[in-house]
Amino acid sequence: MPPVASKRSPPWRRLDGTTVFFVLLAVGAGSATWWLQGPDAFTATLIGALGLLLWITPVLVGALLVGAYVQRLIPRTAMARWLGGNSGVLGLSVATIAGAITPGGPFAAFPLVVALYRAGASVEVCVAYVTAWSVLGLNRALVWELPFLGVDFVALRLLISLPLPFLAGFAALVILRWIRP
Amino acid sequence: MTLVAYGTIGLLLAATVFAAHRRGDVRHADAVHEGWQQLQPLLLRLPPALIAGVFLASLVPEEQVVAVLGEASGARGILLATLIGSIMPGGPMIVFPLALALIEVGIGLAQMITLITAWSVLALHRVIVFEAPMMGWRFVAVRLLASLPVPLAAGFLTEAVLAATR
Repeated sequence: MPPVASKRSPPWRRLDGTTVFFVLLAVGAGSATWWLQGPDAFTATLIGALGLLLWITPVLVGALLVGAYVQRLIPRTAMARWLGGNSGVLGLSVATIAGAITPGGPFAAFPLVVALYRAGASVEVCVAYVTAWSVLGLNRALVWELPFLGVDFVALRLLISLPLPFLAGFAALVILRWIRP
Repeated sequence: MTLVAYGTIGLLLAATVFAAHRRGDVRHADAVHEGWQQLQPLLLRLPPALIAGVFLASLVPEEQVVAVLGEASGARGILLATLIGSIMPGGPMIVFPLALALIEVGIGLAQMITLITAWSVLALHRVIVFEAPMMGWRFVAVRLLASLPVPLAAGFLTEAVLAATR
């Protein structure tokens, strides 16, 4: 395998393992649909998928731009400062808000948790932050969930998820006390 | 639904662009460049992933899904959704097309929220790829144990909210 493809490399050089996996998965699932449900169902499903792709692409582009702006507006160092200094219910609240607004995927969130943990933030605050980022992450909700599942679903799920980081944080506290009384 | 989603994104984008404009120290070119950087890998990956997700969803057996995860499945469905969500591999590109298909087939709302919550907090592929190498297994063990009740709480809370609003 060549090293990381340069910027000017032709598109096929950028085909990485993940993309190849998705292509194979699509071919496999498409063949199974053709086999089990016939060519008509195959065509209808394919047209449905292409329509979905067409409709979510503008939402995706817009949401990625929102994420990029938020990242510039709220620098990671400022977030780490708010999170490190608080514990208890206040710490959990700050962790919940920070987790909800952290943009980007796991490659953006985990370095922040590592820095916090090493700087001495308590385990329950780190657990609450990861939980909030997972269930309340506004960036992922906007980029992925909103185009597929709609505003009503996202709003209900986010509302339900508000207490969950606190639940996980307190559970972590109980577990830690139980490990070392 | 279409208009509301486009409107929500449009409003948020306008708000962040406005905030960046007033701050002065945020350059629009940087933000656009960042967005483009994040979009590039998706341009190749998203189409096959989404098509795979939609085809996979068309293979989901409807009656069985409704029987075990439909609205009537209650607490048993919520437990099963937690289990499925925690072992469901793949990122959002695969999971959300599948989720859409499951909703169309007739999975219950509480069961759907449980499934997405379990996939979000327990996601084993993310634990193995990112969390364990960076945070160590001790932290991972404490976090996973503390997260076990989270999807269940989400499911039962949804049922309570739906019961209260009906």
